[in-house]
Amino acid sequence: MKPTTLRPSFTRAWPCMASNFSTFFFQLPPPPPLAHARNIAHQVRHRRIHSSLSAPPPPLLASSPPSQPLPLFLRPPKYTTTVLDLLEWHSWAKSHRRLCRLNWLMEDVLHGFDPSLMRKAVARDDPDVIISSRADVQELYSLWKQRMEERRPFQYIVGCEHWRDLILCVREGVLIPRPETAIIVDLVGDAISKDEGLREGLWVDLGTGSGAIAIGIAKILGNYGSVIATDLSPVAIQVASFNVEIYSLEDKIEVREGSWLEPLKGVEGKVAGLVSNPPYIPSDGISGLQAEVGRHEPRLALDGGAEGMDDLLHLCNGAASMLKPGGFFAFETNGEKQCKFLVDYMQNQLPGSFCNVNTVSDFAGIQRFVIGFRNR
Amino acid sequence: MGRNSRSLWRTLMWAAPGIDALRTNPRVGASFPRPPVAKASFSLPRFCSTEVEPHFSPDLIKIMEQRLSAIEHRSAFLQNLINQPEASPTEYSRANKELRKLRDSMELINELRTKQKEIDGLKTMMDENVEDRDMLGMVTEELDEAVKEEKRLQQLLLQSLLPRDDADERGSILEVRAGTGGEEASLFAMDIFKMYERYSQKKGWKFEVVDITESDLRGYKEASAAISGIGVYGKLKFESGVHRVQRVPVTEKSGRVHTSAVSVAILPQANEVDVQLRNEDLRIDTYRSGGSGGQHANTTNSAVRITHIPSGMVVSIQDERSQHMNKAKALKVLCARLYELERSRMHLDRSKLRSEQIGSGDRSERIRTYNFPQGRVTDHRVGITHHAIDDMLQGEILDAFIDALLLQQEMDAIASFSSSDP
Ligand SMILES: C[S@@+](CC[C@H](N)C(=O)[O-])C[C@H]1O[C@@H](n2cnc3c(N)ncnc32)[C@H](O)[C@@H]1O
Repeated sequence: MKPTTLRPSFTRAWPCMASNFSTFFFQLPPPPPLAHARNIAHQVRHRRIHSSLSAPPPPLLASSPPSQPLPLFLRPPKYTTTVLDLLEWHSWAKSHRRLCRLNWLMEDVLHGFDPSLMRKAVARDDPDVIISSRADVQELYSLWKQRMEERRPFQYIVGCEHWRDLILCVREGVLIPRPETAIIVDLVGDAISKDEGLREGLWVDLGTGSGAIAIGIAKILGNYGSVIATDLSPVAIQVASFNVEIYSLEDKIEVREGSWLEPLKGVEGKVAGLVSNPPYIPSDGISGLQAEVGRHEPRLALDGGAEGMDDLLHLCNGAASMLKPGGFFAFETNGEKQCKFLVDYMQNQLPGSFCNVNTVSDFAGIQRFVIGFRNR
Repeated sequence: MGRNSRSLWRTLMWAAPGIDALRTNPRVGASFPRPPVAKASFSLPRFCSTEVEPHFSPDLIKIMEQRLSAIEHRSAFLQNLINQPEASPTEYSRANKELRKLRDSMELINELRTKQKEIDGLKTMMDENVEDRDMLGMVTEELDEAVKEEKRLQQLLLQSLLPRDDADERGSILEVRAGTGGEEASLFAMDIFKMYERYSQKKGWKFEVVDITESDLRGYKEASAAISGIGVYGKLKFESGVHRVQRVPVTEKSGRVHTSAVSVAILPQANEVDVQLRNEDLRIDTYRSGGSGGQHANTTNSAVRITHIPSGMVVSIQDERSQHMNKAKALKVLCARLYELERSRMHLDRSKLRSEQIGSGDRSERIRTYNFPQGRVTDHRVGITHHAIDDMLQGEILDAFIDALLLQQEMDAIASFSSSDP
């Protein structure tokens, strides 16, 4: 039977946007044209406003070199596969359902695909119908093997994590942002709504990783204020810059490389808000971590020293010197023990520096955050 | 399994419910611009003016006149009050507020009064020119026009005086649930859900899937959506109830017609402020892979369950890949349900009449039957049948039913308006 192409739109010429992601994964010369970055960001922002009816989305990207590990959902759908092959893979992968988010992988790979067409192919008994895909079926097999056999985190497989209302690109070498951390952005939102003056100031996210918190804050600041996002890891710096670019926030967020307070030279005492989710797992806890975390995420992002408090304590002192009077801070911690210790430390070791120091629980009821203000 | 085992591949398809339920088609920039509907509350179904006219009895006019002059007096009184220098600020602002509410009616009343004066004038002219045939003809023509206009204004006024549901202008939460009939009911639930999606698209409303629970055959056991736009609730509210389907299920080999049912609920959208939601009243449960959470855990389970402690209401959402988004959706649904609960409490107090009217929100009421063998859709409340079932499921002729239901509601309201004391 003659193969039918279901989506003529896929054969449309892709607009040329080849070099857009060079900064992220490769050091290729031409900087990404801003308009293109906007275009991508637009796509990303609206991805989840989905419909169960079909309306083909506009194509995203032009031919990127195949070796470039772009997140799946941003790759061009330049592969074709038959419905039969896809279903075979799906059924194979499904047999390992215990660990999987197969639907999400399909969603990223077949982005823009109308499932009812697949049903029609079945109805016409035509398993050779060709559909477009962002990955080769062989790659799908190997990706899924990595998921099953190596416990490679799902988010690294697809190259992104849906966090708050954002889609953040992630890859090996950068921590996958956790749902708990989203609360930090809410806490900043609360602080801003109570003191509008904070909105116009400078905000700092130390150890930004994928840039999650910094981007979340930049979005709630709206037209006001600005953000500095820092990290020691060059990979984190690349990934954060990439995500900032995707959301067209280059004017609002400055990504700086360096250890904790180092990149903040010159803004001492001027910071309106300082937040961080620093590494806080005690060193001897690292070996016992869930395979996805311990084997695949960077130790630099997790290991907080013997008690897990090395970086947190350093940051408390930093907050005292960096924040302006009335400035807000929020730190994520390992739980109740660290929270209590920090509150005690701030009150007794740094007397007079802070006020309204409190702990805040995550949804699971674990005391997760320490927040407060620099004394006026 | 290889390419040769062709016969097996269908089985594969059935075994892959996930694929079919993928919603991979984002509607980029999903909000459609829609011109603001001026005087939305006055917009009647097209054929309404002719249909309602028989009810425009002298009695009704008399009752309405009484109401109109009451409004005029009230308005004059308030106007007078705010012109008094000695009115206190609270008095002033209260009066001002009430005046604003009366303003639309007052504008219409003034227009009506002008028309009525014109009519009086024309009548006098007629009396004075009984002899002059040409003149008489002209005046009669003008008078006809003026009377028509008077009728139209009265119509609009009546419309504005009829009790109105404040929620009509709001967006809606749509909930579709498969009832009796197993898989077939789930497949029909999906058809119904998509019918509303298509209808919404046609109206230029924004249709966002909130959550879908699939059945084994890729139907929907339960599905919900947030529909946003102006006047969504006012249009869709009569869709609440049991929708019955009669057809041969795809799974049925013998070709026997089955009857199954799907229940639809339409709730007005509401926010945290509408229902005075307090954080302390909520318990939020998320999936955790045990242990300490935070940096320790990597989970892809983003499901969120919110419990409203005072009412015991529970909403779970797992459709989104981000926990945060699931939480936002769950809150939206929770607010809509709490708001509805509040409204039904108020309605119970307000009138027993309401429950006899259509759209009483009784979700166990069988409201419509979709009969595929005969290709017809029948609405049991207004007794209307349409013979284009496919168009119906495409969202094409839903308006015919909705208009009839709106009209019915209006006539019910007029009936109770004339029977109640002015
Ligand atoms: C737990 S991760 C948090 C990442 C991100 N903020 C988030 O919440 O998803 C900690 C981050 O701190 C960074 N980091 C570790 N040591 C650092 C240092 N000395 N100076 C700056 N950043 C550091 C790591 O590279 C990592 O990105």
